[in-house]
Amino acid sequence: MQGISSRWLLRLLPWVTVNAGTYRVNRRVSYSVGSGRVSFSTASDTISVVPPTLSELPLLRGFEDVDALSALAGRFQQRDYGPGDVIAQAGESVNELLLIGHGKVNKIGSGKYGHETVLETLADGDFAGDELLAGPDGQWQFTLRAVTQVTVLAVAQPEIAGLTDQADALREHIAGIASSAQAAQNQHGEAAIEVASGHEGEADLPGTFVDYELSPREFELSVAQTVLRVHSRVADLYNEPHNQIEEQLRLTVEALRERQEHELLNNKEFGLLHNADVKQRIHTRTGPPAPDDLDELLSTVWKEPTFFLAHPKAIAAFSREANHLGIYPQGVEVNGNRVPSWRGVPIFPSNKIPISAAGTTSILLVRAGEQNRGVIGLQPTKLPDEYQPGLSVRFMGINEKAIISYLVSAYYSAAILVPDALGILENVELGRHHD
Amino acid sequence: MVVLVVTEPQLSLATGAARNLATTTKSAPQMQGISSRWLLSSLPWVEVGAGTYRVNRRVQYPVGTGQVSFSSEGDAVRVVPPTLAELPLLRGFGDADALSGLAGRFQQRTVSAGDTVVRDGEPADALYLIAHGKVRAVATGKYGHDRVLGVLSDGDHVGDQVLGEGDGSWEFTATAVTQVIVLVLSRQDIAELVDRSPALREQIDGARGGPAQALNKHGEAAIEVASGHDGEFGLPSTFVDYELSPREYELSIAQTVLRVHTRVADLYNEPHDQVEEQLRLTLEALRERQEYELVNNKQFGLLHNVDLKQRVHTRTGPPTPDDLDELLSRRRKTRFFFAHPKAIAAFGRECNKRGINPDPVEVNGRATTAWRGVPLLPCDKIPVTDSGSTSIIALRPGLESQGVIGLRPAKVPDEFQPGTSVRFTGINEKAIISYLVTTYYSAAVLVPDALGVLENVELGR
Repeated sequence: MQGISSRWLLRLLPWVTVNAGTYRVNRRVSYSVGSGRVSFSTASDTISVVPPTLSELPLLRGFEDVDALSALAGRFQQRDYGPGDVIAQAGESVNELLLIGHGKVNKIGSGKYGHETVLETLADGDFAGDELLAGPDGQWQFTLRAVTQVTVLAVAQPEIAGLTDQADALREHIAGIASSAQAAQNQHGEAAIEVASGHEGEADLPGTFVDYELSPREFELSVAQTVLRVHSRVADLYNEPHNQIEEQLRLTVEALRERQEHELLNNKEFGLLHNADVKQRIHTRTGPPAPDDLDELLSTVWKEPTFFLAHPKAIAAFSREANHLGIYPQGVEVNGNRVPSWRGVPIFPSNKIPISAAGTTSILLVRAGEQNRGVIGLQPTKLPDEYQPGLSVRFMGINEKAIISYLVSAYYSAAILVPDALGILENVELGRHHD
Repeated sequence: MVVLVVTEPQLSLATGAARNLATTTKSAPQMQGISSRWLLSSLPWVEVGAGTYRVNRRVQYPVGTGQVSFSSEGDAVRVVPPTLAELPLLRGFGDADALSGLAGRFQQRTVSAGDTVVRDGEPADALYLIAHGKVRAVATGKYGHDRVLGVLSDGDHVGDQVLGEGDGSWEFTATAVTQVIVLVLSRQDIAELVDRSPALREQIDGARGGPAQALNKHGEAAIEVASGHDGEFGLPSTFVDYELSPREYELSIAQTVLRVHTRVADLYNEPHDQVEEQLRLTLEALRERQEYELVNNKQFGLLHNVDLKQRVHTRTGPPTPDDLDELLSRRRKTRFFFAHPKAIAAFGRECNKRGINPDPVEVNGRATTAWRGVPLLPCDKIPVTDSGSTSIIALRPGLESQGVIGLRPAKVPDEFQPGTSVRFTGINEKAIISYLVTTYYSAAVLVPDALGVLENVELGR
């Protein structure tokens, strides 16, 4: 069977057993502003923002009045920039809210001695100048410069002011968020644990407790199932040298396991690609996966990274970049296999990571393990008629055409215990060569 | 891929309903703020019997290569007068009026990148203080090529000998690497001031004479040793003198009062013990604070206890392999680098640019980036400024090798972990149980060259 891959993800994830179908990830209560990304819909050459996703802007967090959001979405004007064009200049006053519809933009600040320094790379769905919603003040603290062809949606300050004047709900919501007293929190947005240090004498000590999220996320085990049919005549007679049912079953299980790995990466509910925190998603600087980009990715999961996971073509693209720079990364040995590595962290291939039509893919960096607050796989404890861990084969009966049926089910899920356990390098372009 | 969509009426119990009967497997409460805390795990911890640790050293005659501080108002930069006493010839000078007089005479000048501040061979006629920016000092090598002496930056000075001596000329060329703001004090101004203030004259004359004792290159009183002599030579007699008031480190403290309601502590204990989990997370927060203090505390924090000779500036800005080599050359047995994760990424970029792929090394079973076999461990407690500059720490740990050590108490009552105690403080009238959670710690640098820092490390270029 050609469809069998090495399924490194299934082998590398530590599997935690779940007693009764549900796993709850308890976390400390967090006030983090879920500043996600805005989505766009494209019709030929015009890009428009999907109104409900505007509530990803920090000042619109939790705002659900679709009419007001649609009105705001309707005011955006589309503008195009070429590579190198300046979209916003540091020092000038902020008079527009900018959404990056398509393309890559460098956020450039000023270094200690006045030279330029790239603070961050923004891309599709990122935004800038969103503090404008609260009122016109302030200057751009950074310069935005297009790296590629960029499409920007912009709405000017007077338009926003006009809108907020009309929509009371919108104005109140923004004022509410802007004025809400910031509870003490640590750099990750978690409610602070008050600690006094370095004090002398009889200082009043802070009293504290560690608060937990009130509605923590629960992961239900997902399922991949199929019914395997074998004619009793086949099962009875044609068993030398290979047992027919066993072979049928073996291949079916392989297919289920392949699907399981696909789901662990791509499932909308629990798939790793869909569950990485926005702060943990970075973009390639230029396009192809350069060593610099992997270094940057390592700085997102800097606490004990376990492995990279990339499409084989992405690994080839990375090697091309390393070759171009004259770097030869050493391989490392894992379970007796020689795999490529970067800075000592092994890079494993997985063909389940999707490649878009435009030839872009993603590279994941994972910290695995329950003890070190990493990514874990979930599987049930003990199944009736268990065939392999988390997979059962049940005899369903023989029908009137003498066909034997087996129900083959695999149960699985995955959980990210703490957001910084998973980093994703996005917009990795394949097929860029240097000659 | 087939995704089945069920449209028919449901025939059996759904998972949502079944869940109500079932238990949920629960994780322990998770916390994002926990880091790897490499610094805490790699420092050797020395147990202190009674709260204070004294570092006895050989007596030292510091020559004063201190740095000057500046205050700025708008574009105008002024030197803070008392810090002028850090200049070698003014070391220990306490006359505030004379220092203010000196400070008032400095003239501010801006030098663009690439321009010369002083030129080799020209007469040395002024004292330059570097207020902001980077300057590279270059002398002429043996065969006429350029010989880079070093990089000077904020707070450094050039030409302090002008204060004392008569004539002389510059022995190196100082070129601005970035835009530089310098404060200049001309020889005439100095002469005028010295004439007016007898105290200043006395100080300078005294300092020029230098200490009477013989010193080794670290400024320690020399241990006289004769070698290579022939015949019946009169041998030197010697003794090793110690500092009279050695530095003492008191253990610092991080504390908090953890409160748990008795009802929570009594009842809600399956499968996780509530008090234990509260305590676990509080301790994690305390440990994070402890590491932060070990790096940043003004008294004993590593960043504030680096000897001035052990401060290296990056040559160009980003942390290059050359800069780390320079940092390594300043001490024996460097065991660890500590850097912000972003600085490690910046260092990686510089390596990539040069086509260098440093071999990773294994520390506690984890592969880490390394340079010349010295692991570059991530530590997010090292501050990054708004303009994106940070520092990289290099250290030699250990009591035996006269390095950097962590200090913790030998034994505390109600000890929970080494150096950490959890004490029951009572239950109040609202039925809330309180625990006093305390951790004691400090760090000491036994010999100045055990700890070095690479400063002005720029990220994001």
